[in-house]
Amino acid sequence: MTGSILIIAAFMIIPLIVGVVSSRQSQDTSEDFFVQGRAMGSIAVFFTVAATWWSAFAFLGSNATFYTSGPVYLTALAWNLLFGFMYYWIGKRVWFLGKRFDYLTPSDLMGDFYNSEALRVLVAVITLVFTVPYLQIQLTGGAYLIEVASGGVVPFWLAALLFYFIIIVYVWIGGIRAIAWTDVIYGALLFFGMMFAGYYISGQVGGPAAMFAQLQQSSPAHLTLPGPNGNMGYSMWFSLFVIVAIGAFMGPQIWLRMYSVKSGRLFNLMPFLLGFAALAYFGSVLTGYTGVLLEPGLENADQILPVMLMNYAPYLLASLIMAAGAAAAMSTANSQIHAVSTVVTMDIYQRYVNRRATQARIVTVGRLSLVGFSLAAYIMALTVPGLLVTIGIAALAGTAQLIVPTLGAITWRRAHPMAAFWGLIGGVASVLVLTYGASVSNPLGLHAGIWGLLVNGGLFVGLSLLLERRDPEVVERFAEARRDYDAEFHPERLEDEGHAAGEAVSTR
Amino acid sequence: MRKTFRSRKLAIYGGMLLGFVMLESPMILVANQIEPMVMGIPFLLLWSLGWWAFLTALFLVAYLTHWGSSRSAPSARPRVEEAAS
Repeated sequence: MTGSILIIAAFMIIPLIVGVVSSRQSQDTSEDFFVQGRAMGSIAVFFTVAATWWSAFAFLGSNATFYTSGPVYLTALAWNLLFGFMYYWIGKRVWFLGKRFDYLTPSDLMGDFYNSEALRVLVAVITLVFTVPYLQIQLTGGAYLIEVASGGVVPFWLAALLFYFIIIVYVWIGGIRAIAWTDVIYGALLFFGMMFAGYYISGQVGGPAAMFAQLQQSSPAHLTLPGPNGNMGYSMWFSLFVIVAIGAFMGPQIWLRMYSVKSGRLFNLMPFLLGFAALAYFGSVLTGYTGVLLEPGLENADQILPVMLMNYAPYLLASLIMAAGAAAAMSTANSQIHAVSTVVTMDIYQRYVNRRATQARIVTVGRLSLVGFSLAAYIMALTVPGLLVTIGIAALAGTAQLIVPTLGAITWRRAHPMAAFWGLIGGVASVLVLTYGASVSNPLGLHAGIWGLLVNGGLFVGLSLLLERRDPEVVERFAEARRDYDAEFHPERLEDEGHAAGEAVSTR
Repeated sequence: MRKTFRSRKLAIYGGMLLGFVMLESPMILVANQIEPMVMGIPFLLLWSLGWWAFLTALFLVAYLTHWGSSRSAPSARPRVEEAAS
């Protein structure tokens, strides 16, 4: 046990060293602390996006879902591809606008395009409120691993506290640069950890083919929808695909990873890289299903991977893979803490409390808010129970609502601030009522987040068509930016438009 | 030339749509079976992995063909990357 703890401890010290080293390259400006001066290179971008996107939800939650609910988590293959595609199609446009108009947060883009302070505040509130529960599950996941690895010697509360202490220290020192550098290490470890754990553990029952054959005999319901409990059918399959991909993509931590990118060309490659990385889920299939055969009836399903490792893998290997699990949780948690501190600092402190704050003061406030939000997540981890995946999806359903006004801002001249505001209110209210309303069940079995998006989208389109914008100069500024985007990345579109205009003139 | 770009884009986005429909529409219920197993892998898993591989390969093709867009054309304004440097 002591050896396991030492390996995990050693592994957690790496980011502290990276934080110190990266701080030597830092400048004491908000742009450097929050988006690395918009100069993040391709390797760092891929690994930090992948490691941030893959969390305890993926590393522990995927195994737990295959173990308890059957194949519904296979939809993750598609949601990774959708996430990658959105990173290209939406992310590149957000990056372009961010670079042109100096945005740092989601509220910056929304507030600027919709020219609305109320919307700016609403977006900041949604971002903060729904990111903290997702942050909570990273802490919970990481603490589970340490608790199991230590055989209970390090209790959950202490493990969680240690976990967050380390994150606060290195993010405080190095900002997003330290996070990106550690994510390169964590991302690689996470991918190979998931794959290798699955292959190794399934070897205990004769390998993947033998494992599937045995499962077909003992619990065939695990191999098809709606799973052994009968509650994870097509509706949940589709809901997870939409909500997880969009909800994670709209998280403030991913927004910062759009603004930070140095070259727009990198966005073209990300769908392939992020899609390919989804292969690691095959490891989770093997781990979760082997767990059904070897460790049926585990009380806390989220602990299936660490329990299997401790019981069936050699000591060193088990510790290394659990360190990879801690990496998954830490690489997402660090990015989320950093992102929410960015939102608090830029969207609330600088805009409404102290407009003339110096760069050094802004960075200090950013660092202090790291501590505040970490504390909130820590308290929630100790007091709010629930499976990682369940809590995670509820949080993602909230942030997913931001996709509607974002699409409006990057594509539609008619998109109206009132429509964006009331669409978000309607969407979030639907999510909350359907998630927490005791007497309300989700129509058609679709997740509350899907209904939220439908209400949100309907209000947004309907009101935008009804209302006229009264700020043509803002609309035109964005239309011009969109034309410049096309000129730079899709020149054939402008040729098409020119050709169509020419044909219209000649017809007259 | 414009037709080439248009057909390239149509192929990429059409292929994507096909892949996502196969994975996420109610079509998945057709594949929701254990048999036939191939190399010991249940059919639903095989179906999902197959379409995942198709879409991943398509994303690589999309990258290599600049997502069906013309790569170099004179810009109306300075490029963002140049303007920022």
